[in-house]
Amino acid sequence: MGATTRTVEAPRTTGAREILKTFLLLELWVGLWVTLKNQFRPHITVEYPKERVELSPRFRGIPRLRFHPESGEELCIACHLCETVCPDDCIHIVSEKKPDGKGKRLVSFEINLERCCFCGLCVDPCPTKPLTAIYMSHDYEMADFKRDAFVAPLKVLLNGVDPKDYKE
Amino acid sequence: MFRTEEMDINMGPQHPSTHGVLRLVLNLDGEEIVDVRPVIGYLHRGVEKLSEHRTYAMIEPLTDRLDYVAAISENLGYCGAVEKLMGLQVPPRAQSIRVILAELQRIASHLLWLGTHALDLGAMTVFFYTFRERELILDLFEQFCGARLTYNAMRIGGLLEDVPPGWTDRVRHFLSIFPSRQKEYEDLLTVNRIWLGRTQGVGVLSREDAVALGTSGPTLRGSGVDYDVRKSQPYSSYDQFDFDVPLGTKGDTYDRYLVRMEEMRQSCRIIQQALDRLPEGEVRAKVPKYIKPPAGEVYHVVESPRGEQGFYIVSKGSEMPYRMRFRSPSFVNLQALPMMCKGRLIADVVAIIGSIDIVLGDVDR
Repeated sequence: MGATTRTVEAPRTTGAREILKTFLLLELWVGLWVTLKNQFRPHITVEYPKERVELSPRFRGIPRLRFHPESGEELCIACHLCETVCPDDCIHIVSEKKPDGKGKRLVSFEINLERCCFCGLCVDPCPTKPLTAIYMSHDYEMADFKRDAFVAPLKVLLNGVDPKDYKE
Repeated sequence: MFRTEEMDINMGPQHPSTHGVLRLVLNLDGEEIVDVRPVIGYLHRGVEKLSEHRTYAMIEPLTDRLDYVAAISENLGYCGAVEKLMGLQVPPRAQSIRVILAELQRIASHLLWLGTHALDLGAMTVFFYTFRERELILDLFEQFCGARLTYNAMRIGGLLEDVPPGWTDRVRHFLSIFPSRQKEYEDLLTVNRIWLGRTQGVGVLSREDAVALGTSGPTLRGSGVDYDVRKSQPYSSYDQFDFDVPLGTKGDTYDRYLVRMEEMRQSCRIIQQALDRLPEGEVRAKVPKYIKPPAGEVYHVVESPRGEQGFYIVSKGSEMPYRMRFRSPSFVNLQALPMMCKGRLIADVVAIIGSIDIVLGDVDR
């Protein structure tokens, strides 16, 4: 492709039209017509606590852990990969050898939500298939009164928290 | 007995029209500006130093936070730099999707600029309309990568995932409604005599000065210099698309406004072309699990909505960069501010800051 350029310039009017414009303030009327048209467009504002926007499937909210959909066991195999790739050091895992010898299991799994930047990098290397053990949930309401609440322990990560109720 | 003297006035860092935490020390003679000294560093986070202690994959979320209005352009530049260093070939489909994302981001960034710039100059209505349309683009980004501001949308070697089903149709839908909406902004501003009075002849940056100060992006092109990284050093298959580079003639605030408005139209053209011939195939090249580029250094530039965004990486062959340097367009463009402001009134400073479109996250890094 050859280099193409285009010079931008102010639209110009001349002669009688210019005089007419000066006296009748034509361009201001055009602007007012735009605002008038927009009065009759449907509202796009969402009254948040009462109604919520629909989140897209890939939305990245609080990272959580998943149970196996059928057996109900924890999917996490305590490989520490998410802990390694986390850019904010917000994941802390303690694991132990399984009593029957094979593999490891979780003792504790904490995500410090004060540090988490919701980048989703922890999900990429998760080796469990076909579902990843850690996933970005659709929870986004994180406000709380105490700092302790931001360190999500294993139980919360697995079960999630109930959506907050904003009725008075 | 009576005498006049020059006076220093602080503008910012909490001034709403400085678009962040920019502090300007205005040296005034009455209402007239004698000198402007920008004081920066209020948003300094030391991203370059932080990068030296992170693996290459971990740095991408940091680049989101440089120019947080156009995070995808930063992602694109950073991933491109690492890929250049490693000699990776990005699959064509990933390249085209990256172009679509980057151009959508350019429109979104220019919409935010247009809304706030017009708001600063007293045209409040435009702000609501531009943010309404920007919301549509943010929805598209949310569907693609799951976030609305700090996207982390790309990965070294391509993209994490292909586009979700139906996404391209939604982009087409956006392209079908956007030109008519842009016409509305133009109806409100381009010929409006108040807008012309506030912008024409304000903040003139001559062609020579623009080059000498190293400005880039619409600030440079508004002064009539034909320099666009997408044309001069094409990256991510930009050479396959047909688009024009808009140039201003006088280099004033109004010309920079016109350049950005035209850029949005050209972005629509690029997205349309990219959608029409979106190649099939993989979206991620074969990348080793632990990214360890060979020793060496690389400089990669992309055309972010604000200008030439450069990434300089020095690698010693380990999994973390030895040195990381971000060439941010806002920082360099801010240099032109004192020159543009000299001899103008205080009210014009607001118009000029708006017209160079700085993001303080990008200035301070």
